[in-house]
Amino acid sequence: MWMRVGRWVAAMGLAPLVYAAAPAPAAWVPVRWPWADTQSLELLSGTPINCLLLKSPTPALVAAAQARGVVALGVVRPGGQDQEIERALAAKVDGIVLEGEFPEGTRAGIKGVAVIELTARSRLPLGSPLGPTGVIGTYQGVWPGIVLEEGGAQRSGPTSAVWIDTNTGFLRAVRAWGNATVWIANQPPPKTAVTTTRYLQAIADAGISGARWVVALDEDLAGRLAVREEAALGAWKRIAGMLTYFEKHPEWRAMPEGGQLALVQDPDKGGLVSGGILDMIAVKHTPVRPIPRQRLSAEALAGATMAVDVDPSVLTAGQKEILGAFTRGGGTLLSGPPGWKDPAAVEGAITLEKGELERLNDIWHDVNAMIGRRNMGVRLFNVASMLSNYLVAPGGKTAIVHLVNYSDYPVEDVAVHYLDKYQHATLITPGGADKVLEVYKTEEGWGVDVERVGVCATIRLEP
Amino acid sequence: MGITRREWIAAISAASAAPLLHGTPETPAAPVGIAKCAAYDEDVTAKMGALFDQLGGLEKLVRNKTVTIKVNMTGPPGQRLQGLALGLTHYVHPKVVGATLHLLGRAGAKRIRLVESAWATAGPLEDVILDSGWNLRALQSAATGVEFENTNGLGKSRKYARFKFPGTAYMYPAYVMNQAYEDTDVFVSLAKLKNHADCGVTLSLKNCFGCLPASIYGDDAGRDDPNEKPTAGRGDVVHFAKRQPARIAPPELHPNEGLNNAGYRVSRVVADLAVARPIHLAIVDGVASTAGGEGPWIRGLRVVRPGVLIAGLNPVCTDAVSAAVMGYNPRALRGTAPFRNADNTLLLAEAHGAGAADLKRIEVRGVSIEQALYRYDV
Repeated sequence: MWMRVGRWVAAMGLAPLVYAAAPAPAAWVPVRWPWADTQSLELLSGTPINCLLLKSPTPALVAAAQARGVVALGVVRPGGQDQEIERALAAKVDGIVLEGEFPEGTRAGIKGVAVIELTARSRLPLGSPLGPTGVIGTYQGVWPGIVLEEGGAQRSGPTSAVWIDTNTGFLRAVRAWGNATVWIANQPPPKTAVTTTRYLQAIADAGISGARWVVALDEDLAGRLAVREEAALGAWKRIAGMLTYFEKHPEWRAMPEGGQLALVQDPDKGGLVSGGILDMIAVKHTPVRPIPRQRLSAEALAGATMAVDVDPSVLTAGQKEILGAFTRGGGTLLSGPPGWKDPAAVEGAITLEKGELERLNDIWHDVNAMIGRRNMGVRLFNVASMLSNYLVAPGGKTAIVHLVNYSDYPVEDVAVHYLDKYQHATLITPGGADKVLEVYKTEEGWGVDVERVGVCATIRLEP
Repeated sequence: MGITRREWIAAISAASAAPLLHGTPETPAAPVGIAKCAAYDEDVTAKMGALFDQLGGLEKLVRNKTVTIKVNMTGPPGQRLQGLALGLTHYVHPKVVGATLHLLGRAGAKRIRLVESAWATAGPLEDVILDSGWNLRALQSAATGVEFENTNGLGKSRKYARFKFPGTAYMYPAYVMNQAYEDTDVFVSLAKLKNHADCGVTLSLKNCFGCLPASIYGDDAGRDDPNEKPTAGRGDVVHFAKRQPARIAPPELHPNEGLNNAGYRVSRVVADLAVARPIHLAIVDGVASTAGGEGPWIRGLRVVRPGVLIAGLNPVCTDAVSAAVMGYNPRALRGTAPFRNADNTLLLAEAHGAGAADLKRIEVRGVSIEQALYRYDV
């Protein structure tokens, strides 16, 4: 590890990081640090946090962080950025985070330190070469959770399932471009005291999609932590525990989505929205493999039995031929209706307008009808308040099923039915000891039962 | 309320000048048992076993028989009140289901079929059970010969069964349902002790409204043939008379009566069903439940913990005692709690001769109504 870090530092020519023995950017666990005093750094003890985003970095705080092996990044927003960058560099930060939309050349003008851009989703450099850090990020995200109506009722009719606001569809679409390190840096809703559970859900929402949420504390919690209030410290410990859970398993981030359903989509259109087709499929708990249209190939479709081509009008002749071969080989293809365009969010928005959503809903009904009650790799039961992600290691030897529970209550008796012949199953939970699960035969394949899911659980499946 | 438990029991049992407030002496009456059970982690099986013993035991009812249990799983399993487990709110609790299966098996039932017309699907009931967070394998192993059938369509059968009403029905001259309801020796209604927004209460009688398949009585039922892929409820046909059922079932007798009045129509259908498909054993799970409605789509729904289990061999008697345990007069008329917007299903069923709703004619065994009283209206 030290050798690797050393090589990275040398390659980047980032002098400040040499003495700090800091982790490589792919391993940075970022937090928006709301405090300026060096004593606040004692909160880092026992946490995996190793990267602080500082709004007003002071030399003392930066030095103290670096002395702990923690990376200090100065956050710069548009407007007066030149002075802010200068001030941050004067504080000897390890890098600059450009949060927002900046004039062209701003990034290139910053020399000698790492630069991370947190842009609007629509400006993410998908498909373009990434900067030296390999980190791609956005400040735009929905605040994950079950959508409530006025009065606290869950948003749904007597016939429909609970709707969960999530960034998972977007993050999966971005990750489908490669193994970039993805940061989602949205902040808690303003003027809201956020419960600890909601923080855990936000971390897990990104974590199950192979991304990292840049932890951002609401003012209330930050204030209470500043005075080391006991309950606040308990919340902080749980937040750190959830971060540790995902950081202990870096292998999960390298695992691509599994299952027999492929979704071909332009990530820079519908893939960038939340509440789009990927999220609709996610609510149904159907494992789906997003394939950027630009990367559509026979290899990408290998193992899929069904595919959804969201916007056929943008396919090239070669891409049409690939999908044609897929159907000739026995695959089922569902295409968006003629004349329909994969909707992108309007400028500044990350969710679709009502009209677009209704049109997308029609496609969703077709997808739903096509999938029916089939098991497309994994089928989950009693997971209405959850989202999941089915990931399979290259070669298929190990698979995992992530579960995130967005309700305020633990869910009991979840059943997981899967098709591939994994005879060993282990339940992994934040803060809990790994537990071997009994594997039983089902009509279609195999199954395991999970007694209880708090906020998050992962089932590891092995031969 | 300013009235003691004892005074309240005396009041609801007292004779009245209104004719419907009297039970008719010729309607059958049977004992009803009540057991206290504060929580589902108590020994539910032992408590239910004792309850059935108070009724004379299950053996003579079910030995070597096929038993069909209609469980109450109202609404989609994904829709929960405050994220709570369904069995703690508006579904029967899986522990009560498991205990019932076990006790029926122990009493010698040769085949036990668990049935429900699951909300907006005709897919396997096993899937709905799993989605409800019930342990399917535990239920399968609770007794030998346990089967599952989603009666929202044909299910595993090849044809529907026709249940002709013997006499003059309120609503439909015959009801067409899944074969499971005919292919049985003993029919059990396993219900929840809860309110119903339209009908006031939903107990063992109202539970059987869910026997009607949406394939025939659903909003998206075919005009002529059943729709074996139903995706909706029965509001258009049964609640509001916007249309007739699929032609495989006869249309209603008085299509212009009770239009858009679910409290009129559903209550009558329920009373008809009590005769067309008689219930041999009524069980009401009142350990934990909901007040104010039948499911989380009803605004103002709240969790209640009456801590009781109730069972009887006559569903009308059982529901009368259950309603009294909820703090209601089982002979209350339309406009009075809980039948504020509905005709009293119990009295309609009683008038059909299905059983007595008169507490004076019903022997209560185990815990008394007074001891079990848990007022749903606060």
